[in-house]
Amino acid sequence: MMNKILKIFLTFILTAFFATSTFAATKVVWWMESSADTDPTVQEMMCDAFNAEQDEVELECVFKEDINDTIRPALLSGSGPDMFDTPGASYIKIYQDAGLVKSMQEYADQYGWQDKLLGWAYNSGVFDGELYSIPKNYETMIYFYNKTLFEENGWSTPNTLEEVESLAAKIKAKGMNVYAYGSAGWQPTHEHLVGNYFNTYAGPENVYKALIGEKKWTDPEFVEAIELLRKHMVDEGYWSGDLETYYSLDWDDFNNEFATRGSAMLMIGTWGFNVTATNFGESSDDWDWNPLPILNSQAGSAPNYQLATGGTMSINASSKNADGAAKVIDWILSDKARALKVTGSLGYGAWLLPLKYTDADFDPNIDPRQKRFLTEFAEASDSGNYGYTTWTFYPNDPGVHIWKDMEVVWAGDITPLEFMEESQRLWDQARADDALVPVGKR
Amino acid sequence: MPKFLTSINAISWYFLFPVIFIHFFVVAFPSILSLLLCLTDWNGFGRINYVGLENFQELFRDRVFKKAVKHNIIWTVMFLTIPVIVALIIAYLLTGIKRGQLFYRLVYFFPYILASIVNCLIWRYIFHPRHGLGGWFENQGIDFLAKSPFAMKETALYAVAWVDMWHFWGFLVIIYLTGMYQVDDSLYEAADIEGATKFQKFRYITLPMIRPIFVLSLIIIIIWSVPTFDYVYILTMGGPAYSSEVVANHLYSQAFQRMNVGYASTIGVMMFFYVGIIVGFFAILRRMGWEV
Repeated sequence: MMNKILKIFLTFILTAFFATSTFAATKVVWWMESSADTDPTVQEMMCDAFNAEQDEVELECVFKEDINDTIRPALLSGSGPDMFDTPGASYIKIYQDAGLVKSMQEYADQYGWQDKLLGWAYNSGVFDGELYSIPKNYETMIYFYNKTLFEENGWSTPNTLEEVESLAAKIKAKGMNVYAYGSAGWQPTHEHLVGNYFNTYAGPENVYKALIGEKKWTDPEFVEAIELLRKHMVDEGYWSGDLETYYSLDWDDFNNEFATRGSAMLMIGTWGFNVTATNFGESSDDWDWNPLPILNSQAGSAPNYQLATGGTMSINASSKNADGAAKVIDWILSDKARALKVTGSLGYGAWLLPLKYTDADFDPNIDPRQKRFLTEFAEASDSGNYGYTTWTFYPNDPGVHIWKDMEVVWAGDITPLEFMEESQRLWDQARADDALVPVGKR
Repeated sequence: MPKFLTSINAISWYFLFPVIFIHFFVVAFPSILSLLLCLTDWNGFGRINYVGLENFQELFRDRVFKKAVKHNIIWTVMFLTIPVIVALIIAYLLTGIKRGQLFYRLVYFFPYILASIVNCLIWRYIFHPRHGLGGWFENQGIDFLAKSPFAMKETALYAVAWVDMWHFWGFLVIIYLTGMYQVDDSLYEAADIEGATKFQKFRYITLPMIRPIFVLSLIIIIIWSVPTFDYVYILTMGGPAYSSEVVANHLYSQAFQRMNVGYASTIGVMMFFYVGIIVGFFAILRRMGWEV
């Protein structure tokens, strides 16, 4: 009798064991950059939603602080998650060189990712002809302005250098700062400004030529762009009144300054939509946005949008569940309405996937200013009217130089020409080391 | 079992083994690896190419490194003087307080137990041009601290050092006070009979008697000044315009921002040699009979 019971028990246990291992979903672990504001939404609307919709792959999202510092030792040790985030394409280039990231080309072909993504965004992840990363988010530089304040004073939004300088004088005469901004807590903020001046003064065409090596960074248009930025920052104090205050203000400070009429405008990335809308929600003033004014005729006549990716997703070269990871990515890219819903819940400041959105994809309740950005950006970038951000298209060393040494120019310790000579030297070095990141053909 | 395996000496080594084992893999092995990496152009991930002494040649051309070394020297000098003098005086004055001394000890030591990020945020707020003292003075019509000293290249290094010293000097007070309590009271009584002043007692009794602990504090300061990093990183990231850049900060930037791990290792090796020279210097003094 006892033997019989034992046999039944063992049969049950073994059946349960094999059934579990045979039919269990493939588990895919994804290490994501953590952000306290967005993690719960991403968990619910992406990870949980994916698991609820299918039972082939079980996705586990793990949110990590400073993802690049965390993922590096994991990849080097040959372990780590199946999927991981990086801050940008320059990191992917290093991982790809070291064989730590898997080529996703077969999956891209199988699932047709190239047709789903905006062209420039797809190309930003292509190294040596194969796809290694997909942007999780795209952004560009624009400026917000206090619409009520502008209307009260009869000011027009500026489109040229003369108009910028004339408007700045009027704003300063009212006792306000021209732009709110600051770098406390995030020193690389400087590179936003450098990129703005390169693209609106020297122009995207020249930036493109310099990126691919057909032009020198020491050419006059770049040196003049830096000199103009120096003048506006140091001599004119456009950003938060003076250089020292700019260095002292952090994210909360300058956003608050903009929302409380301390400054008339805020030149920032499109990640500023959410906080601007929130802050102005508590004020009686209204806000709006515009693309950056063109500061020099050689930068073209129409405004350009700088291309930028804010974070990428990739598959670990040592992942045993790469097929499952690819299914996760395809699920994310396959439903534009869902993608817009997720990023909408995050104020369009995160998870704004570079997909080919159409009018039909948008929620009818979307803020028209936000919708205008999404559609205008898509149109401009599709028609080739785009520029380049330093944090997406620069290799590491020249990229760090831009924001570290810009302070040296502002301090008057080196000239704009010396700054650009060092930039050129670092670019030559990066080119010789084959450390450049992909720049799609214009 | 052979007797030497169960001797007291052997047993001591058994207990030390786990620590030595961990130390070897966590400290010694990476250090040796770093010595090798300084001869390469490794970016932290991919191929490792041997470049000979190229990194060292680059280091001596590197204007930021030179600046950082100068800042480390200034930093060390500041820490060897200001907190030491203040801590000596306060510790000596505290020895004369019979009631409520614990309160003062707690107050002086308190910043030392706070995390560096907390100390930095407190002082960043105090010096904030809008919400801090500068903003308050501005409201009173006084143009003082209108700009944060962390944001001015002339003052950034000193302002950061000030915050670190504010956090550190309480530690010195406690160790000097401990040394002072070990001085034999009969020496002070004899001095009192001879009519010595307070200063004379400090100069001729206290100071010589706490010399070992005093010299130890100087060694600690010199050695700790070499890898100083956290306060600089949190408050200024070495800016503005490298005006507060220190060697460890430059090393971090090269290794983790610019991905020049080989070059960063070279900086680390230079720091290692510098500390070695300091330790060697004090070892020589000890051999010469100094109470170090």
